[in-house]
Amino acid sequence: MKVVTGVIGNDIHVVANRLMDLSLNARGYEVFNLGVNTYLEEFFDAVVETGAEILLISSLNGEAEGWGREVKLLKAKYKSLDNLTMMIGGNLTVGSGNAEDIVPRYKNYGFDLVCHQVDLNTGLDMLETYIQEHR
Amino acid sequence: MSQLQEEREIILGNENVDSFDFDEVREFVKGADENLFISHHFAKKGKMLVQPRGGFPTYEKQYALYEFFVDANVDVLPLTIDSNTRLNDYATAKKMLRLSEANEVDMLNGYPLVNHGYRTTRKMMTHFNHPVSLRHGTPDARLLIEIAIASGIFEIEGGPITYLLPYSKNFPLDKAFLYWKYVERVCADYSTLNKPINRESFGPLTATLVPPSITIVIQLLEMLLSLEEGVKSFSVSFAQQGSMIQDIVTGTVTRKLAEHYAAQIGCEDAVINLVYHQWMGAFPMNRDSADQLINMSTVIASMCGADKIITKTREEAVGIPTKEANAQTVANTQYTLNILSGLPAVVDEQEEEILTAEVHAIMEAVFNDPADTLWRKVFNSIKNGIIDVPFSPHIINHNKMITIRDPQKNIRIIERGNVPIPDHCYEYEKSCCDLNKDTTSIVNDIIHDIGIMQ
Amino acid sequence: MSTSSDKLLIDIGSTYFKVSTKESIEQHFRDFNKQILDDLMHKCSDTVQRFESDDIHICSSANGGLSTLIIGLTHSYSLKYATNIAYNAGINVIDSIIFQDIEDYSIPSDLIDVVIIVGGIDSNGGQFDERLDNYLEKLNYSNIVYVGNGPDAMGLASRIDKLLVLPNVIDNRLHIVEKHLKEYLTNLYQQDIEGKEDIKDLYKITGNQIYSTPYVVNKSLPEINATFSVTDPFILLDIGGATTDVHYSKDLVRDNIVTEQGHDRIVFKKLGVFKSRESLIFTAEQNEFAYELLMHLKVTESIYKENSERATKVIMQLAIFLVLCEMSHYRTANVTLKLLAMNSIVFTGGITKVLTVEDIEDVVAFFYRKILNSDHKPVTVLDANYDIWTIGAKEYASCQ
Repeated sequence: MKVVTGVIGNDIHVVANRLMDLSLNARGYEVFNLGVNTYLEEFFDAVVETGAEILLISSLNGEAEGWGREVKLLKAKYKSLDNLTMMIGGNLTVGSGNAEDIVPRYKNYGFDLVCHQVDLNTGLDMLETYIQEHR
Repeated sequence: MSQLQEEREIILGNENVDSFDFDEVREFVKGADENLFISHHFAKKGKMLVQPRGGFPTYEKQYALYEFFVDANVDVLPLTIDSNTRLNDYATAKKMLRLSEANEVDMLNGYPLVNHGYRTTRKMMTHFNHPVSLRHGTPDARLLIEIAIASGIFEIEGGPITYLLPYSKNFPLDKAFLYWKYVERVCADYSTLNKPINRESFGPLTATLVPPSITIVIQLLEMLLSLEEGVKSFSVSFAQQGSMIQDIVTGTVTRKLAEHYAAQIGCEDAVINLVYHQWMGAFPMNRDSADQLINMSTVIASMCGADKIITKTREEAVGIPTKEANAQTVANTQYTLNILSGLPAVVDEQEEEILTAEVHAIMEAVFNDPADTLWRKVFNSIKNGIIDVPFSPHIINHNKMITIRDPQKNIRIIERGNVPIPDHCYEYEKSCCDLNKDTTSIVNDIIHDIGIMQ
Repeated sequence: MSTSSDKLLIDIGSTYFKVSTKESIEQHFRDFNKQILDDLMHKCSDTVQRFESDDIHICSSANGGLSTLIIGLTHSYSLKYATNIAYNAGINVIDSIIFQDIEDYSIPSDLIDVVIIVGGIDSNGGQFDERLDNYLEKLNYSNIVYVGNGPDAMGLASRIDKLLVLPNVIDNRLHIVEKHLKEYLTNLYQQDIEGKEDIKDLYKITGNQIYSTPYVVNKSLPEINATFSVTDPFILLDIGGATTDVHYSKDLVRDNIVTEQGHDRIVFKKLGVFKSRESLIFTAEQNEFAYELLMHLKVTESIYKENSERATKVIMQLAIFLVLCEMSHYRTANVTLKLLAMNSIVFTGGITKVLTVEDIEDVVAFFYRKILNSDHKPVTVLDANYDIWTIGAKEYASCQ
């Protein structure tokens, strides 16, 4: 399966991004890594160009709140993304916040899977389970 | 007027520069005290020079930091530049400087040298009369280094590769080569007036599992790009890697090959120095552990025979260190250096041979690129993955090389990508590691290997 | 290899033509009642006749360049890559279409010289369905080239008449592959120039190939320092009668593209000072600062209707301002350059014969103050002798 991944926004966490890339590869995905500092539109555009089934966005500096609201709006402009599995992981809020608040909020933004401060392998296990159930 | 001089006038005609007086600056460099030149201190070869890190937005805070450092018996003062200046955004730096001056809060993560200007900064540099090293991370440092040298800062860190690949996603690398060519030429020009200006490459790169072969190749290439423009004093550097023997071997091979390649282009007269960075990866939160790590770094630097060591602080994991913590590391490091004696000469011939063969092979592949200039050969080699820097965010970097640690914590290449690591070296590197695990556990190993000091 | 010292270089523009020898450079307004060759010989026959046909080199932008329409999948990849390649090959992009919305786009009535279809990496076929065929049926074009994903190529080639298939411009890492499309477009432009009746005539006086002007200018950019005191990053503005060409150092943009050349090009099709004067004035009327600029220049909007030397001058100043606006954050539709980092601004073309450095600096300073709130002042360089074109022409002359 093809996955588009990368770190959103003004964020230069290369190590996390590269580890995501390696882990996805290790699990047999075909990875298109857009790297750090990627804009939302670039993610969706890359999904269209590659035909990826999964979009996995990382956000580590907690600024995801800023653009979260735009996700649905932007995604609605694309006609071929209805079957896209959308996942977000990382540190999804500034300061402290608990998963019970954060997860529903991001699901509301349009993400199927939300991993707030979940370790890499647990997150990717969740993805695998989700894919098995939904595809 | 020479083309370089014309370019300099345009660069220095920037609206943020308060009338640059070329003649006055030349006179200043010509007459500057030899103590301001790190090249002079290297030549004395007394001891390993100790240099901390640090930069504050305001003149007063920088001055206070230097006072602490001098009290702690510092050898080389740092001047770390703020990130707006690194991106050539002098307008924002100016705004933030004003805010920092008005409210006691630091709105910049370094000293905005261009905004302070050389007339002001020079007062501080000549007052302390220590060599100062410019630490920045700027792809286009043309204006910055002009102001630095005019201020009495006679060591310039960085280079087109080492200041770009670890920091930027999309600044065009070919432009960075041309902008750094300007830096080399200006440094070379000033070097004829007094003691030489020292250029230093930034060996730590991404500070994340970069194998020594890649580090050394990039050090050598930046050295050659600098020497071919006429620079006479150059420091190659690397950061603590995690295994003492790998550091010692890296130091030996770096020195040997730096001389070899400098001689190949007829630059035997240039002085090449070796600089060691204390651990640049993730630091322990516990301040006492951090102190132990720093101390061990100092011992390894001595084993490597480094000419200069660049220090970290016990507050590394917490945030920007205070001047107290910073000065304490300087004093501690000086103390350790003072009491260290009777170090054994450690040699590992096999490791040296493997590393030397790897570096030669990559260098040869770079030289074999059909481009007509060295910088373009290097540019092409990065573009086609002959040089591949693990964990670089830059879009030009291939990211195909994979490295992990062996049981002795040596960094080993287990996937070479397009890098022409010779087969026997590659087999050796892989044979040091347990590769029978499934790939997911190898990824877990990498995560572990990055955080070994935490 | 001969040197250019014994060569005659001729550049045919839509408004002027220029004739350059080692001693002098002359330029003349074109007389549109005459064929180019007749016009040239009428005005410069003495000069032309002094040279052997093998020593005469000609370039042309007289036809305003080739036009292209690009159909792609996304803005960030397929359209961006194809647009970048087209501009750098000297082609003018008329429109770019996102394929998923192709039914919503109106069909341009003008003849399109070349249609480019692009999109998808090679493992992502099945992108272009019959909506493409429907659109193309209504479109009037001369050439069509496919540079998208591999799997779709065969099907499209069987459905679309005369479709040329070239390797994908997007590789499997989502990086740009310039080579094939760029070569094709450069050659197409070349053939077009040679195919024009007017231009064909010129082969009566030259034994050398006639090149497109943007190609020649692009060749000269890496050599520009040899003649001018120009410091990277810079932009070069060629404000012409019909269009305005801008060549810019690529570190002025933050694009995730790794390309070969150090400079990129864009074209503003409707910003010119003669043929496109009406559309330029229209653009000015939509710009909230243009009125202030007119006041600053001490004229009123009535200047638009005047036909005087003064009016030409103001129109040219307005053109500079509007082009800078198009490239700043003020107008987000186009490429946004980091104009505060720009060290030099170079002007070539007819404008250098009309405006002084002061006239230009005045309007550039106005732009920086009003739009960017800055006192930044890039160094203005006027290429009044068409040296940029000459350097490029020499470059290719010396290669032949």
